[in-house]
Amino acid sequence: MRFDRGTKALGLAAASALALSACASVGGPSGGDEETGGAGGEGSGGVITVAETNNFTSVNSATTEHNKDINGKINYMIREGFTFVDSELNVVKNEGFGTYEVVSENPLTVEYTISEDQQWSDGNAVDQADLMLWWATTSGYYNDAKTSEAGDVESGANYFSIAGSTDILDGTDLPEFSEDGRTMTLTWDEPHADWELALSASDGYLQPAHVVAEQAGMSEEDLLAALRDSPQGDPESPRERPEVEQIAEAWDTAFNFAEMPSDESLLVSNGPYVITDIVKDQSVTLSKNENYQGDHVGQVDEITVRTIGDSTAQIQALRNGEVDIMAPVSVTKDTMDQVSSIEGVQVLEGPQLAYDHVDLNFGADIFEDQAVREAFLKTIPRQQILDQLIKPVVENSEVLNSQLFVTSEEAYEGAVAENGAAEKYPAEPDIEGARRLLDGRTPTVRILYNSENPVRVDTFALIKESAEQAGFTVEDLGDPLWGEKLAEGNYDTSLFGWVSPGVGTEALTQIFKAGGGGNYNSYSNPEVDALATDTRVTLDEEERRQKMYEMDRILFEDDYGLPLFQSPGMFGVAEDVNGVEYMANQTGVFWNFWEWSRG
Amino acid sequence: MLSYVLRRLITAVLILFGASFIVYMMTALSGDPLGDLYGVPNSERLIAARVEALNLDTPPVLRYFDWLGGALGCLAPFAATCDLGVTVEGQQVTGLLAAAVVQTLLLVTAGTVLAIVVGITLGIVSALRQYSGLDYTVTFFTFLCFSLPSFWLAVLLKEFAAISFNNFLLDPVVSWATVLGVSAVVGLGWYVASYGARRTRLLLGATGFVLTAAVLWFLLATDWFQQPALGIPLIALTGVLVAVVATFLLAGLRNRRALYGGLATVGAGLLLYFPVQGLFAQGGLGVVVLLLAATTALGAGIGRLSGGYDRGQNVRVGAVTGLLVMGLVVLDRFMQSWPQYLDHGRIRGRPIATAGSTTPGMSGDFWMTGLDLFTHLLLPTIALTLLALASYSRYSRASMLEIMNQDYVRTARAKGVSERSVVMRHAFRNALIPLATLVAYDIGALIGGAIITEQVFAFTGMGNLFVNSVHNVDPNPVMGVFLVTGIVAMVFNLLADLVYSVLDPRVRVKA
Repeated sequence: MRFDRGTKALGLAAASALALSACASVGGPSGGDEETGGAGGEGSGGVITVAETNNFTSVNSATTEHNKDINGKINYMIREGFTFVDSELNVVKNEGFGTYEVVSENPLTVEYTISEDQQWSDGNAVDQADLMLWWATTSGYYNDAKTSEAGDVESGANYFSIAGSTDILDGTDLPEFSEDGRTMTLTWDEPHADWELALSASDGYLQPAHVVAEQAGMSEEDLLAALRDSPQGDPESPRERPEVEQIAEAWDTAFNFAEMPSDESLLVSNGPYVITDIVKDQSVTLSKNENYQGDHVGQVDEITVRTIGDSTAQIQALRNGEVDIMAPVSVTKDTMDQVSSIEGVQVLEGPQLAYDHVDLNFGADIFEDQAVREAFLKTIPRQQILDQLIKPVVENSEVLNSQLFVTSEEAYEGAVAENGAAEKYPAEPDIEGARRLLDGRTPTVRILYNSENPVRVDTFALIKESAEQAGFTVEDLGDPLWGEKLAEGNYDTSLFGWVSPGVGTEALTQIFKAGGGGNYNSYSNPEVDALATDTRVTLDEEERRQKMYEMDRILFEDDYGLPLFQSPGMFGVAEDVNGVEYMANQTGVFWNFWEWSRG
Repeated sequence: MLSYVLRRLITAVLILFGASFIVYMMTALSGDPLGDLYGVPNSERLIAARVEALNLDTPPVLRYFDWLGGALGCLAPFAATCDLGVTVEGQQVTGLLAAAVVQTLLLVTAGTVLAIVVGITLGIVSALRQYSGLDYTVTFFTFLCFSLPSFWLAVLLKEFAAISFNNFLLDPVVSWATVLGVSAVVGLGWYVASYGARRTRLLLGATGFVLTAAVLWFLLATDWFQQPALGIPLIALTGVLVAVVATFLLAGLRNRRALYGGLATVGAGLLLYFPVQGLFAQGGLGVVVLLLAATTALGAGIGRLSGGYDRGQNVRVGAVTGLLVMGLVVLDRFMQSWPQYLDHGRIRGRPIATAGSTTPGMSGDFWMTGLDLFTHLLLPTIALTLLALASYSRYSRASMLEIMNQDYVRTARAKGVSERSVVMRHAFRNALIPLATLVAYDIGALIGGAIITEQVFAFTGMGNLFVNSVHNVDPNPVMGVFLVTGIVAMVFNLLADLVYSVLDPRVRVKA
């Protein structure tokens, strides 16, 4: 084929036109009016949207049925108490709501005073009835049920079906009030180490007495009178308390709704925000509480909590700007990688309060000999477990070296310095030492764990490999129904997780005391029992800490078991959201929601 | 007939009883319903409360009969005795089911309807041009979609149709090279999909290229994505196209009166453009539906008035045109709200959503909420349509091919019936008979939810309820989902069989 000059020129022109046009482009903003609308008709603070995994079902997260993370988080934004817990797990006074002071240490007497003009979002004052109801639900004062071995109630009744325990306020007498009802005085039978945790913002027990009264079909005064006049419960002589029962029934059930209730009085709030919209199973929207009188005035106009169950979907919603914050419950390497690669999103990481641990069953024959216990624990490759399972997710994680404290707590360092765990059981296994202790014996260790949890399965495999090098025979008791078997006790070693509450001392007696509800491995040491009981009545924090250090030391000395690691945690936060800080406990990212702002 | 239906229903009830027992036992024995409570503070108390609430200390077999007792209460009409139990969280299963069914229908309806319409159209067209480039293209494309895992398709859609598209919208600038490149690809597609002589195909390919380039240029140059509008000119242009196509399909272009009727309807629709804007300003769904119905009737009236030898055809053309033209006017109204939607504080210029069915806290008039629903349903609907396309197009292609080879089609052609009449009247209608069964089955299955699609797009429908409950070892909601889906599936299977015998006189139900 031949081209004449004209064709060639045309071709050249076409080619250069194409090349030129490659630099040019079509479209683009037609004017300078990009920044229109602002926050779109709302105030100036903007909106922040948080992705959550579970769906909202109740504003009363303290009941047994609705005691789940998201309910607690929503509740935290619409209720205030005398204290809250900060990201270093310190109990912080919330003086905007009220103040308290110890009047006497023996008997422990504390005076709580609500600040002036504290009120609910509907204008009703936070007053004597609210305090009384709050105390009534948390103390279990009226309970007079007798339960059988199987757990059935034989006589009497328990009022207010709360998920938490009545432990802290259990030992208080009927509160006394000042003339104006704003001051309540509580007196404990015996000192209680955790007294400061009672009546806190995050306990979820506070509900508006005037609304509860209305739901129970009585006036607020009647409610107050009913609670004040009903005598303390005595299982030996149970009695009928129809009013208290009505109140408890209202408290248990009225606040459970997964969509906007027809009676909006159920939504009243004394916290910085108030619920203004609920879309069933999808979202809860909170707006600023106009009547809020406390110190934690919110920065943003609205906070929306969205339910997105699938973590990939959460990540893509974060990328698409549909949510500003995501805080997944369980964090995998995959999630971590994907979130950290998003432009314009910062990652906050840290340990969660849940921690995995190996417990030796003191009821098992093979572990009667302390040498075998020590030998087995020496073989557990804690560093390797951490390196392979946790480090890929959160780089700066470490082996947990305390039975009583987690790394987020200030006291952790002190515990590690005194409990001797790191010296006795370095993170690397000591196969030689274990073999020496075994002295030719080859005991069989049956390990119980949840076979549906991949991290536990991998941990088990690593332990098995290491222990068999020292001469142990390891038997696999992995089971999806591990929970039932845990209490049955037919195993030698259990591998599972505890969720540390982060504050308080209740776990000491539950887990480590002989016969405690969480003492699945039949551990019994009178010295530890005494220390646990003693710590719980010690008011001085430093003294309490020393006792816990001592207890921690004995637990390692006794070869109770070994803590392994804390689960990794992570928040993904859009960069134009300020004020978010990592928090390990169950309040999670919401712990300082009033400080959030849009940059 | 009646005894056949009765017999089928009785069998269905027996099957339901048996299946419900099996499902209940399988769920109850699938794991530990207390599994999430070990290791948390106060586990003792929580465990006791759950055992009490769900009766866990009775064996599952007895619990099944307990459940059955409550479920049988649902049979008594208006007695409010229906009790499907409570979930682990203490919520009533009946309430949960009601909410979940709504979400599921919201999610799957548009996708299913689109899949049926598009799938059948593709199938018929590819059957008419068997073994052509078009046929192969359609076959390739539908099978490609069919073989994509739904979660992956969904993730891709979110990545490109939502995140990337939203990024693009924030700064809608495209280089000329991209415009030309995209147009070239589309032009190639037209060429491959076209049929006939090479010259025709080349011409079509070139048309595709030029048309695409022109449309893209128009969209970008007018900032159309930010401020979309149809306006009178585009509505007129599209309306005329609709009238012509409707005439072609329903009456044949030789029926001039039908065409004129259709065109007159377009004119009438355009005349209504300004008057209805006022109505739109105050109205919502009701106004839209009324207007659509009114213009359909108006079109039918115009068709009837235009007279000619076959008024029925004219009426149909007019009605379809009227409906679609008003549809365009409504679409135009939605577009007028688009800039306002984009600027909303919760949208912030990123309209296409990846999760949920609404933007939480979004408030606005009918047009704003309508757009919000659209931006949320767009991706799941595309995903569901693409996934279901293959089965409809393949079935309709096969059935159409079979019909086109039948003797009566040959007879019709021999009589000199026009090709349009042969295809549309004689072949197409009969080709739909086997599809009736398929559609009925699919509608039955539809209520069960698209489990994976629901999960990926964060819809809380039946699939989600089912999966979560199985995960929680919570038999009551699982049984609720089972009951609803089981009954719907059985009823629709029965309906499919009955419809078949109505549609096809050769099939008779033996009583």
